[in-house]
Amino acid sequence: MGETVVVEDLVKRFGDVVAVNGISFRIRKSEVFALLGPNGAGKTTTIHIISTLLRPTSGRVTVAGYDVVRYPDQVRKKIGIVFQDPSLDNQLTGYDNMYIHGRLYGLRGSELHEKIVKLLDLVELKDAAHKKVMYYSGGMRRRLEIARSLLHEPEVLILDEPTIGLDPQSRARIWDYIRFLRKSYDMTILMTTHYMDEAEELADKVAVMDRGKILAMGTADELKSMLGHDVVYVTVNNSEEDVCSFFDFAEECKSLGNGKVELVVGNASRALPEVFRVAEARGLRIAEVSYRRPTLNEVFLHLTGRELRDSGESQANRTPPRRRW
Amino acid sequence: MSPSLNALLAMLYRQLKRWWNARSRVIMTVLNPLIWMVFLGLGWGGIFSTRNVPNIPGMPSIPGVADAIRNAIDSYFRQVFGGVDYVAFMVTGIVVMTAFMGSFISGISVIWDKQFGFLKETLVAPAPRGVVILGRIVGDSIVTTLQSAVIVLLSIILTSELNLASIPLALAYVFIASLGFTSLGVVLSLKFSSMEGFQMVVNLLTMPLVFMSGVFYPVTTMPDWMKTITMFNPLTYAVHSVRYWLVGSTVGFDYMNPYSDLAILLGFTTAALGLAVRAFKRATLED
Repeated sequence: MGETVVVEDLVKRFGDVVAVNGISFRIRKSEVFALLGPNGAGKTTTIHIISTLLRPTSGRVTVAGYDVVRYPDQVRKKIGIVFQDPSLDNQLTGYDNMYIHGRLYGLRGSELHEKIVKLLDLVELKDAAHKKVMYYSGGMRRRLEIARSLLHEPEVLILDEPTIGLDPQSRARIWDYIRFLRKSYDMTILMTTHYMDEAEELADKVAVMDRGKILAMGTADELKSMLGHDVVYVTVNNSEEDVCSFFDFAEECKSLGNGKVELVVGNASRALPEVFRVAEARGLRIAEVSYRRPTLNEVFLHLTGRELRDSGESQANRTPPRRRW
Repeated sequence: MSPSLNALLAMLYRQLKRWWNARSRVIMTVLNPLIWMVFLGLGWGGIFSTRNVPNIPGMPSIPGVADAIRNAIDSYFRQVFGGVDYVAFMVTGIVVMTAFMGSFISGISVIWDKQFGFLKETLVAPAPRGVVILGRIVGDSIVTTLQSAVIVLLSIILTSELNLASIPLALAYVFIASLGFTSLGVVLSLKFSSMEGFQMVVNLLTMPLVFMSGVFYPVTTMPDWMKTITMFNPLTYAVHSVRYWLVGSTVGFDYMNPYSDLAILLGFTTAALGLAVRAFKRATLED
């Protein structure tokens, strides 16, 4: 089967709040798919629906051919999940956490033991296997959770913000595991993140999500090419007029509000003198000019008019109600 | 092995392992009932014997008559406590009280799991939710029964009336009752998502139920209103039956015997387990 996860017109409402608003995507086998968006975009809600913890309000989701509402037990067998918040038993050792997980998924005996040892070795926790999880660092816990989610050999690995709250070294290590899993195990991976570099670095396909909707989808390169080559930001502070009409040399011009415009140009170095020439001719006072080679952050800014990294705070008041568990 | 049984054993293993890892806390769970046994049992127990009172005012000084009266008073007390002395009566009640308190408190681990996230791990597992919660209730009940067993062994020091051969049978009753009380603890903890709320309700509920079950004094001499409540308290039947097997005391309502106790306890435990499974399924079903 070519497509491991299929999401069609998925909607999820919590009372009046629409957390997920009609999204569709397909994840092919052995693909790393990233849902990129700020906190409160509906990523975790989507993940919880795919992992059968929440029921969709409407729409259809299948995992490995099984509908998540009709065959939750089949779906649960096919997925391995690492939640955003830890879900380990701190009072038990790393080994015991793995052991209980294995038993819950129907594994036992020496087969289970061998798998546990192998996976703990993979995530470099073999030496800490018989220490209680309460003495683990944040990075160790995340690695243990990844190892645990692989124990029952899932078809899809779901990682909800796998590197949130980790230091750069731990982060790099988690990235290495994800690359390794993709390469050596041909694992299908669905991950959410609000780090652009993470999505850019790891994912074959990125879906930009904001306010419950998918705004754009494609490879990181495809998304970036939406913006042409380079982007120039110009802020002028004395014009009430439509500044965009002056910059007719740009491939695309978009007003971002407060006098800030985004110019998509072929080459920023050559476009900058043009910007100043136009400003002088039209009597615009330039407060700020900057340019960037496009990253996914520019894509996000282009799609929403907001920076990805500061949209979290401004949206705190419309975050859907926290799940009870 | 069926997957469900496997999952049940997984949860059972987890509860036992958690308990074993927290061995120092086990001392605390035994210490509290031990204080009751030693101080209330031995301190209060002396009152119910004339041997400890050399001069009884108004006692005729005729030899033989005084002895007869003393014997009558002593046998009165033994009859009140079902044919045993107060220490034997009370200590056997404490065995059940330990299991009762422990069971309710173990419900709190559901709240812990909610807060520390382990619950989510069990919810995305392919094991049925009913099996997950059953496994943990059985595991916790084994733990509370083991704690009661420690109390039984300690009570051998305090009283010589213990019927050692019946200890396993008595513990089987304790286990059945623990299943029921742990289930109630789980139901309560699912209703209260905060530890404080849960602890308050447990304190408000357990103390009166302990006093109205015959742990510290016989049910037969209670005021009528208290008797009525006592009849509907499942703990009463656990106390009566365990006391019967441990020391042979038979003080209770007319219809009570170890077999009717068993029937009532089985009925109660089945119902409580059903409630717990239903509450757990509901609490974890999000729409």
